[in-house]
Amino acid sequence: MKKRILSLLLCATMVLTMFTACGGGNNADADAQGEGAKKITVAAFEGGYGADLWKEVAAAYTETTGVEVELIIDKELENVIGPSMQGGQYPDVVHLATGREAGLTEQFIKDNLITDITDVLSMTVPGEEAKVSDKIAGGFTETALTNPYGDGKTYLAPMFYSPCGLFYNAGLLEEKGWAVPTTWDEMWELGEKAKAEGIALFTYPTAGYYDAFFSALVYSVGGPELFNKVTNYEEGVWDTPEGQKVFEILDKLAGYTHSSTPAQANGEDFTQNQQLVLDNKAIFMTNGTWVVSEMAEAPRAEGFKWGMTALPAVEAGGDGYSFTWFEQAWIPSGAQNVEEAKQFVAFLYSDKACEIFAKHGAIQPVLGIADKLEGDNVMFYSIYDNGAKAAMGAFAAYKSVAGLGTVQEVFFDPVNSVVEGTMTTEQWVDGIKEATDVMRENIIK
Amino acid sequence: MKKSMGRTLFLFACVAPATILFFIFMIMPTANVFRMSLFERGAYSPTETFVGLANFQAAFSDPKFIRSCQNMILMIVVVTIITFGFAIVFASILTREKVKGKNLFRIIFYIPNILSVVVISGIFSAIYKPENGMLNSIIGLFNPEVLTNPILWKGEGLVIVSLIIAMVWQAIGYYMVMYMASISAVSESLYESAGLDGANRIQQFFLITIPLIWTNIRTTLTFFIISTINMAFLFVTALTSGGPNGASQVALGYMYNQKDAGLYGYSMAVGVIIFLFSFALSGIVNKVTEREPLEI
Repeated sequence: MKKRILSLLLCATMVLTMFTACGGGNNADADAQGEGAKKITVAAFEGGYGADLWKEVAAAYTETTGVEVELIIDKELENVIGPSMQGGQYPDVVHLATGREAGLTEQFIKDNLITDITDVLSMTVPGEEAKVSDKIAGGFTETALTNPYGDGKTYLAPMFYSPCGLFYNAGLLEEKGWAVPTTWDEMWELGEKAKAEGIALFTYPTAGYYDAFFSALVYSVGGPELFNKVTNYEEGVWDTPEGQKVFEILDKLAGYTHSSTPAQANGEDFTQNQQLVLDNKAIFMTNGTWVVSEMAEAPRAEGFKWGMTALPAVEAGGDGYSFTWFEQAWIPSGAQNVEEAKQFVAFLYSDKACEIFAKHGAIQPVLGIADKLEGDNVMFYSIYDNGAKAAMGAFAAYKSVAGLGTVQEVFFDPVNSVVEGTMTTEQWVDGIKEATDVMRENIIK
Repeated sequence: MKKSMGRTLFLFACVAPATILFFIFMIMPTANVFRMSLFERGAYSPTETFVGLANFQAAFSDPKFIRSCQNMILMIVVVTIITFGFAIVFASILTREKVKGKNLFRIIFYIPNILSVVVISGIFSAIYKPENGMLNSIIGLFNPEVLTNPILWKGEGLVIVSLIIAMVWQAIGYYMVMYMASISAVSESLYESAGLDGANRIQQFFLITIPLIWTNIRTTLTFFIISTINMAFLFVTALTSGGPNGASQVALGYMYNQKDAGLYGYSMAVGVIIFLFSFALSGIVNKVTEREPLEI
């Protein structure tokens, strides 16, 4: 009998411990909310710039304002904060760009779950006299990436910008005596010359990298007007001469693309496509400045030297464009400490924060940042001083429709099939036309 | 009376924790999947709209979903047949024949099973690499043209074949060891008497080995089909991310992507379809493979 009571007791303890374990989490939450005002949670994506820059900036913020910052930094940030946000626990500030595979930021935009931060622009930067709007460089808070609903209100703060363009081995071009093409016609000429030597003209890491390339191309063909039509899925835009020109170039370029590219254009092998440029097997690749540190350890051809150019102009004397890619920081509307979070976002543009970021290679879109650049970055970021125009913007957000697919799936993924020859450019355009008919009707206003 | 009451209580207390956990972590989420498949919502949106069976209708007219289902079914069928064929034959050879270094082979075959899918995808990336990849280099020894014009193992045409090879390579060892265990349980005397009756090795294999380990084959088959649905997702995600241009996407991967595209309800509907499909498939397999059990 005693034994039985003992076993019953043991079982009861087991069940009880189980429930206390479940309940434990809730208590901890309550504590965190109580002292909320003195502490904010910042979730930041750990990209090519590493994690240290966030730790240092958080420390600097605490030093300036006395508000503690709890950091969540991860390479797969979506998987860390996603589930807890589904459970109703939100970080106060999220630094996570659009265009990631998990599309977390896009989902928040589509569901209107981001706090309006227009007033941050007129706030004073903590620890300084200047206003935020006086510091951010022109144009950055006027794009669809920061004002997704086109209503003049800013929801996402522009962060770390990087000019995207065509990266190449400057050493190879020098050695062969080839000039960097300034028009697409010169590009095709170079393509023929290179082909004769067994070098491909072009490669891309994954089809996703076409977003920056495609945008710059649209700009260089038809300027901001065409870009607006394209990104708002305007009807008939692909039947206009400009629209057809865009795909004429894409079609020709597919023919000059290194044949191994599509087979390596996935999350596992994309560095092998980048390696093609380092090995002198392909001349140009579309990429961003982060590629330099990403491939820092990779073996390379003798005399290799990074070069970067804007997209060539369509006609001689036309404009070359380089897409300005930038990341975003935003405040989820479920955040507990919105006011403190806004202060933190304002602080991200302070001299102190910009310096820390720049030290790690991350360049904030603020005026006068050029003085803080070092190494290869000096050359990359001077691209706009050398005549290239800046292309900025993004596709308009639309309400998801089952079976429709994302912009990436509709516009960019087919490039793999076109390069492989399993799909024609006409089919690609037809697919886009069909999908944009639905996207247009579902644009979120 | 009192005694049996205490006993019931005791049993109840013993079973309760597991039952409660099972209910909370298995039954409730599954029921929730079914419920959410009838709604339209984003993964993070606070509101949801009831749409009835619209998500299912959309799924069945969605060419991308249908293509991912075709890929999944192709993988289930081909991977299962090849893996089982090889696993049984290898198991039979390693148990019944006198092979030198039996244990070494056993270990070599089993090793892939210990590796994580991420490691395997790294290994196969090196094997399938178009230039200087292991496979193309070996083929290049016999056909030098491959060196200049490499075969694209992860290209649109061959990507499914490449995935199937990797999956078979990974799964063979595990099932082989299982069959080795059951084959060695078959009494030696049966083979001896069959040998005296004039049955050769192949006849022995089909008439003695297979019927006697049939129960084992049947169980592992159901088990394997279900796990292939999951493994296909892991392999595709790690090796190709569903590319190029969706050519290697499987149903579970499609479900996952739809969630990321902001279609939580739709992805749940896809989940329900896969759930019912795998249930039905294992039911059918179970029924089709039913035999009178042989006991000796």
